[in-house]
Amino acid sequence: MSAVLTEEAAPVRAQLPDRGARAVLALARFEARKLLLTVPVVIAFVAYVAWIVWRTRSSWDGYPALQDVDRATQSMPMLVGLAVLLGAARAVVRSERHGTEHHFGVLVLRPWQRTAGHALSVAPAALLTAVCVAGQFGWEALKPGAVGHGSPAELAVGPLTVLGFGTLGVLLGRLTRSAFAAPLLVVVLLFVFVLGTGASEESGLSWLAPVVSVTGPDTLPSDLMGRPAAWHALYLAGAALCLAFLAMAFSGGRGAFVRTGLALSLAAAVTGGVLQARGVEPSPELTAARERASTHPDLRCTEHGGSTYCAFPEWGPRTGTWAGIVDRVQAVAGGAAHDQALVVRQRIDARYGPGTDTAIPASTERHRVTVGTAWGGNRIPEFSSAVAAVLVAGTEEAGSELCDGRMVTVMWLSLSWQDDPMGALRRVRLDDSVSGSAIVLSPTNPLSMTEGQTDVVRRLLENPPAGTGARVKKHWAELTAPGVTTAHVAEVLGVAKPEKADSCED
Amino acid sequence: MELVGPLWRTLPWRPLAAAGALGLLVVGTPAATGAEPAPWQTLLLLRGAALAGALGLAFLLDDPARHLTGPVPTPRLLRQALRVALVAPLAALWWTAVLLLVPSASRPPAGEVSLEAVTAGAFALAAAALAVRLTDEARPGPLVAAALLVAAVLVPLLAPEDWALFVQADDPRWPAAHERWAVLAAALTAAAAGCGPEPLGRRAGR
Repeated sequence: MSAVLTEEAAPVRAQLPDRGARAVLALARFEARKLLLTVPVVIAFVAYVAWIVWRTRSSWDGYPALQDVDRATQSMPMLVGLAVLLGAARAVVRSERHGTEHHFGVLVLRPWQRTAGHALSVAPAALLTAVCVAGQFGWEALKPGAVGHGSPAELAVGPLTVLGFGTLGVLLGRLTRSAFAAPLLVVVLLFVFVLGTGASEESGLSWLAPVVSVTGPDTLPSDLMGRPAAWHALYLAGAALCLAFLAMAFSGGRGAFVRTGLALSLAAAVTGGVLQARGVEPSPELTAARERASTHPDLRCTEHGGSTYCAFPEWGPRTGTWAGIVDRVQAVAGGAAHDQALVVRQRIDARYGPGTDTAIPASTERHRVTVGTAWGGNRIPEFSSAVAAVLVAGTEEAGSELCDGRMVTVMWLSLSWQDDPMGALRRVRLDDSVSGSAIVLSPTNPLSMTEGQTDVVRRLLENPPAGTGARVKKHWAELTAPGVTTAHVAEVLGVAKPEKADSCED
Repeated sequence: MELVGPLWRTLPWRPLAAAGALGLLVVGTPAATGAEPAPWQTLLLLRGAALAGALGLAFLLDDPARHLTGPVPTPRLLRQALRVALVAPLAALWWTAVLLLVPSASRPPAGEVSLEAVTAGAFALAAAALAVRLTDEARPGPLVAAALLVAAVLVPLLAPEDWALFVQADDPRWPAAHERWAVLAAALTAAAAGCGPEPLGRRAGR
């Protein structure tokens, strides 16, 4: 009888390692399905997808720069990750709560292998997040106005965050074996990472958070970003795996697999953590490149209809859009300005890195217009105002000092051809008003409108008298003569004179 | 009255203690680090502490012996109410400590914030009572905690503008918002009470 037993036992033992792996995978599959169908995870994914659709439809006014888009995919997966954390921790303590822990003792899987199965079950949620991130990024990249380059390391942050939070949930479940630890940890994580009550200044330590979002109003070329994104992705991946192996080690895994995995993942996390902290301060080369891009940028120039458009290489595809605006402004202009060749140059101030609001001084060279890195929405009337000011006053510098009737001409050139001139007037003025004096935004120094000029421009745009366009061209010299009064301009263009005297001091 | 002793012993002390400690930790952080939070940050901390406390209360109606206590003559509503009554003084003490821990310079109006905390607690209890009523689960705590967290994340994001709840103290909508909080608290308390009684009739034959 014993001979029969040994005969049967031998092949079973030989197959055990393999069967262990397959059983772990089977458990992981089962748990993954259960995890993805838990209510918080379903709600989180539905909310996440809804957010992507709601946001991506109108983000960046249809002109995204992909080096900004990749970072914009990072924050929402944290909420998904918190839901996954809850679900994973609950799954780990489920058998304990239901008193079925002892039943698992007779199965092929040892406790640490079951933990491995739970840790693996988080991966599909991370993959699903990766699909969402890819969808969001792909949607932005397919927009006709998209420029720039995304960074795969930045895109990986979202899925890796979900993976890390999930394995943290597994570890927490293993360590505490209680059902209330995970919700409380979620509150802490909400506070530290999501609600932004954590450290705000950028330092090596702040990069230990899963998502380090530095968002500023200005987009930089992708090679000037200076974010240690790759090291951060390595750190996140290492940290996530390290948590998973720690959970296995705590559930009794002492084998070579767990030890090696723990050592390797810890090494990856520490390497990533140290190197990303070192990468926070810009290197001398990066500082020099930023300096160069701010003062003597290496632009690529193309010609469209007589004017020259110089842009950073990544913004090359956008020069045609700028040319469209310049052409429309010039089409309304008269005299020499109608065919004046302009030089539109893109300028940035990258010296302070991303996330800083910098002002660009007005250009003093004749017929030169500055354009920034953002486009769409308010940027269009701002740019057209700058073009109009240069056409009327000669330089941007002179345009920003205009305070006579020429301002009316400038605003007419800038806005009359737009789809919604009054809306554009409201948006291009700093205080969103259409009466009283205000500052008019432009890519460089702002222009200023007095109350009287605003009244005349409003009358012109709201209810233009027949033939205004032809009159602007006919009286071009008069309308752009230095010192012309707003009252005279109003008279020439056939609208009521302003009540207030024309003076920049009011 | 002889119920008080056993109930006191079977209260889920560990989740309550952990949640209470976390709440104190959350509001104690600025004092411990010497930071001077802005009013909005203090309000956020207080709301976080209230959320932590509500998470503890989510476990209050967990009764591992539920299937044994079903047939006892004392109605379930009374037993649940007694649990709440036992915890209420401690919760009030804890919330007072939380309010005293935040820097007084940036503390929002105590009454209104307390109303928000009471509503959060009522939400947890109502959800727990509902889970007890609708399911056969003896310990629905984790479920309720998950629901509470989901609500805590989604409600501020999705609440319509004209029904704003999570407003700042200097917001003109602050009084109106707290009328809504009061309505919510009353509705949730009623719901919790309504879910209390053991269902009779057909379902009992299961």
